Amino acid sequence: MTAVAQGLNRVGIRPRLRRRELGLLILVSVALTVGWMSYVSFRDGRLELSDTSILTTYIVALFVIHALFVISGRRMDEVLFPTAAMLAGISVLMMQRLPQDLVTQSVGGRDLGLGELQLAWILFGFGLLAAIALLVRSDGWLRRYKYTWAAAGIFLLLLVFVFGDVTGGARLTLHIGPISGQPSELLKVILVVFLAGYLAENRTVLARASTKIGPLRLPPLPYLLPMLAMWGIALAIVILQSDLGAALLYFLVFLGLLYVATRRISYVVLGMGMFLVGGFVLYELVPRVQERIDIWLNPWADAQGAGYQIIRGLYAYGRGGILGTGIGAGLPQVGTVQSIPAIQTDFIFAGISEELGMLGALAVLGLYIVIAERGFRIAAFAVDDFRALLATGLTLVIVVQAAIIAGGNLRVVPLTGITLPLVSYGGSSLLVNGAVIGLLLALSDKGIEQPVPGARRGLVSRMGSRFRRRPKLSGGMDAARP
Amino acid sequence: MDVFTLILWALRLGFLLLIYAFFFFVARALWRDLRTGVAGSGQALARLLVMASVEGRPESGASIPLDAVNSMGRDVNNSIVIDDSFASSEHALLTFRGRAWYVEDRGSTNGTWLNGQRVEGLWPLGYGDEIQIGQVRMRLDRPRTEGT
Repeated sequence: MTAVAQGLNRVGIRPRLRRRELGLLILVSVALTVGWMSYVSFRDGRLELSDTSILTTYIVALFVIHALFVISGRRMDEVLFPTAAMLAGISVLMMQRLPQDLVTQSVGGRDLGLGELQLAWILFGFGLLAAIALLVRSDGWLRRYKYTWAAAGIFLLLLVFVFGDVTGGARLTLHIGPISGQPSELLKVILVVFLAGYLAENRTVLARASTKIGPLRLPPLPYLLPMLAMWGIALAIVILQSDLGAALLYFLVFLGLLYVATRRISYVVLGMGMFLVGGFVLYELVPRVQERIDIWLNPWADAQGAGYQIIRGLYAYGRGGILGTGIGAGLPQVGTVQSIPAIQTDFIFAGISEELGMLGALAVLGLYIVIAERGFRIAAFAVDDFRALLATGLTLVIVVQAAIIAGGNLRVVPLTGITLPLVSYGGSSLLVNGAVIGLLLALSDKGIEQPVPGARRGLVSRMGSRFRRRPKLSGGMDAARP
Repeated sequence: MDVFTLILWALRLGFLLLIYAFFFFVARALWRDLRTGVAGSGQALARLLVMASVEGRPESGASIPLDAVNSMGRDVNNSIVIDDSFASSEHALLTFRGRAWYVEDRGSTNGTWLNGQRVEGLWPLGYGDEIQIGQVRMRLDRPRTEGT
């Protein structure tokens, strides 16, 4: 062991134990094993622990990633990964438990069912998580090219407008050769990267009020344009793609970041006002929006049609009660009829609530709150504005998305079709959310490369052109490096 | 009720219980982190990095830790003494209010400048912004985070 450590030392890697992460991962493994036992025993009618290949693969993968983190010696957050592992573990259990023919795909002559496919996507997603957490040593590539990222995002959006296929009534899926995916998942990360860069550069100007409209104090007008553009893009997504969930997510994350960057509640009020006006106009113009609002207000009006999914969801909560029916004992399928349509993606939260009960559902929501706490903590300890805003945005993307879809499932807000991060079935979603957690881990590393001081370009420093000619700086500039 | 049903119950509740045990340990970890965060708050709120100083008082390159209220000027009673020929004796005030930094001019002769604009009244500023007093240019920076 010491020989290995010395060998690693020679190549500049110092392993660092992560006791807290190890302990939490062991607890996750034990919990999932008990959950698995409860499922298999119920299914077979006798106490046993069989068919464990999927469970063991998942648990082994968790500990391999943990070992990689330890060996790399990076000082990253130790709670985030076990929390994500718990969410994805519950997902592995549920997907194995649901009817396997909900999604099938033939890979290399083998027919894979829902459980196996989900495990594969989770492993890919966690692979990406580990790769990003271990390899990203600098954020320059995100910081420097923010307009390039924005352009790439808009390009991606246009591609979907033109070539996208319709999934569940929304134009979401893009096929490129044999690969298909949902770019709206990737777009949310690109959006956060761009907004973090833009707001970090211009936040002081945005926070200073110079335009007054009635009681509202607004920033200089040119700086309002991105807000209007963002609003326009969200509306365009709704009208052209009828992807309500993504539009809502983008706009809420944008408002959240704007508030964090400027501390101006008036912008949030203004944004929500614009949102309400936009929503009202869309309700009148777009039939899909109208339908969504109507079934939210009264699903019973069309119980066998548009309201069917929501009503089946409500029944599921009733069957689950406080303690749940137990994994495997719920009613996801009666004969050949699915009890809740899209239970493996949009309505997985209802499925979990039925089998794990209110306590299980609250636990899942609690796991997202833990992710929020860790993410905002990483943001609060960040060394500069860009990193703080980036961490905030990445956290918001996961948490707000979970809130929108869980709220939709519970009929608290109108239902919009997006995934429950790290739990719903779906390749694009799992890969992107894995990458988001990976980036948060990389940002939490206290040894991450420091931003170059004085590299602030852009509108604010351009206005201060008095200072264009910087005098030669003495050694003090290096002080920011550890 | 037979034994197997009871075992199924135990397993079901055991799974829920273990998820909540996970929460308990996570909550303990979060609580400990918060405690260490509070204990470590004896450090400065932020610092001023002197970017350029023609007369060398303060020296350029110096890093000045900041409290919640910092008075700046040529008088020795200021918390940050700026001994520059173009600075007034009671020149400016740099304060941390709630969660943001503000700078205000205290009626100096040559003015206080924020990113090249003359400060009028109370102006908010963020990390990375540059204050100029006399011939001394300073940048507001986050406090230095030491190791662990």
